[in-house]
Amino acid sequence: MLKIEHLTKSFATRNAVSDISLSIPQGQMVGIIGRSGAGKSTLLRMLNRLADPTSGSIYFENRDIAKLSGKALYEWRASCAMVFQQFNLVGRLDVLTNVLTGRLYHHGIMSSMLQMFSASERAFAIKALDRLGMAHTALQQADTLSGGQMQRVAIARALVQQPKILLADEPIASLDPLNAKIVMDALRTINREDGITVLANLHTLDTARTYCDRIIGLQDGVLVFDGPPEKLTLEMAREIYGAEAEEAFSEGMTSTALAGVPAKERLTERDLQRHSDMSMS
Amino acid sequence: MASLTVDSSLAADDPVQLFEQRRRELARSKRAMNLLFLALFAAAVVASVYVSRFYPERLASGLPRIFEYFGTIMPNLELDKLFLPRGDNGKAVPGSIAYWYSDFWTYLRLIAETVAMALTATILGAVAAFLLCFPASRNLAPNSVVYHLSRRFMEICRGVPEILYALIFVFAIGIGPLAGVIAIAIHSAGALGKLFSEVNENASMRPVEGIRGVGGNWFEEMRYGVVPQVLPNFASYTLLRFEINVRSSSIVGFVGAGGIGQELNRVISLYSDDRVVAVLLMIVVLVTLIDVFSERLRLAFIGKENFR
Repeated sequence: MLKIEHLTKSFATRNAVSDISLSIPQGQMVGIIGRSGAGKSTLLRMLNRLADPTSGSIYFENRDIAKLSGKALYEWRASCAMVFQQFNLVGRLDVLTNVLTGRLYHHGIMSSMLQMFSASERAFAIKALDRLGMAHTALQQADTLSGGQMQRVAIARALVQQPKILLADEPIASLDPLNAKIVMDALRTINREDGITVLANLHTLDTARTYCDRIIGLQDGVLVFDGPPEKLTLEMAREIYGAEAEEAFSEGMTSTALAGVPAKERLTERDLQRHSDMSMS
Repeated sequence: MASLTVDSSLAADDPVQLFEQRRRELARSKRAMNLLFLALFAAAVVASVYVSRFYPERLASGLPRIFEYFGTIMPNLELDKLFLPRGDNGKAVPGSIAYWYSDFWTYLRLIAETVAMALTATILGAVAAFLLCFPASRNLAPNSVVYHLSRRFMEICRGVPEILYALIFVFAIGIGPLAGVIAIAIHSAGALGKLFSEVNENASMRPVEGIRGVGGNWFEEMRYGVVPQVLPNFASYTLLRFEINVRSSSIVGFVGAGGIGQELNRVISLYSDDRVVAVLLMIVVLVTLIDVFSERLRLAFIGKENFR
């Protein structure tokens, strides 16, 4: 259970997020909608503390996330994975190493500076890549990939963090419709099979309706809608999107049917252990 | 056409008016700045010409004397004896190359020492610069105290001339190459650290945020988010520094800090002008060789990175 209370982020002249309270049960898939500048990104970035809240609290498992610092903050970020609109991969590292960075929290300073990952971690990362159909690119340099491929690698990186929550900040805004569908399917699969809570900022209403259990609408930093997709009336949506309504409604994904890729088996702690015999190699 | 004339007093908040006004103000303030800088630059040029007395007639009268000087230090070589070997008693014939370069093996040993000094100093300096450059980058420094400390430290390192550091270390740890190596390494750390940190400031912050997002600490952000982006540039700057350090390490010998410089200092102070030329020739050949070699290495390295 993720519980947000009176969360506020103020910039010099205005509140990007003002006084938002929410509680999100474990395993829910939540879509956050709103026009550009409504505070969607700021909200997500505060949740894994890439941005610091001005006031308010974020409770997860009886800890106030807003007050964490040092080691505890790194631990929280590791367990609350983030997927970015621009993927934020390290372009000059190969795909596998990019995914393995998801394990950094579990490494000491020596092994991480020397890029020493165990064979079991490598196997775990390959499995994560394979779940997203990207295992064949493991040794390629990350900046040779296409946008859709990069986003799938970024999701694999999030997976090897073994997170409890996955935050996705406009994960498909830079992608074409087909890749958008692949990425959204992957997020949905992860949510359903691994029980990871997914919070995604989505620009298009159609995507939010299709994939999410619950939709949260923001307008100028204020929570204006919170409920299941079917409760979101057209008038409400028009209100939320304002001038961007036409764009948000028409830029829907080409297919609203959830054909989905066949799901691969879920990654468990056992996968990480299974290959530890090989880790001497 | 009367409608095109705009009464400025009536339309004070007209967007076009406001824009034009803003643009004029900007242009005026820029012009003032540009003129100011131009004036300062001109003043600096005039001052430096005056101080260094860089006048054409002085230059014209001085230039021939440079060649005159080279005339006086030329070795005494005689064409018929040029390739004569050493005699049975081990003495070389005056006028032969063997006589001119009778200390050849000493020079060669000192040249090798010079290169070794430059190499060691470059490695030490580059390692120190690598460690210092991340806290010294505006975009990466964990806080402003660390940033300013590392910046100031690097300024001290490169602000003092190598020859002065060499003097200090010769005094402290004695005559020999170690003093020179430390002196050049300190200067390199400061100079390279500045260049490295400027490379860092141009690096994309997106990978860094990606690493922060997975729970990486500051060191891991640097190691995974920044280093892969900047390493090729670091390598090319380090090779360039090596070339510079080869020149530096042939100078620090003047104050007893090892390398070919000490021999150069000796032959100059003994007025053995032909020996000065002998040593200088070897230094020129060495520096040229190193330049050619490291330029190739650098191009190969960058080329491989860019066109893979």
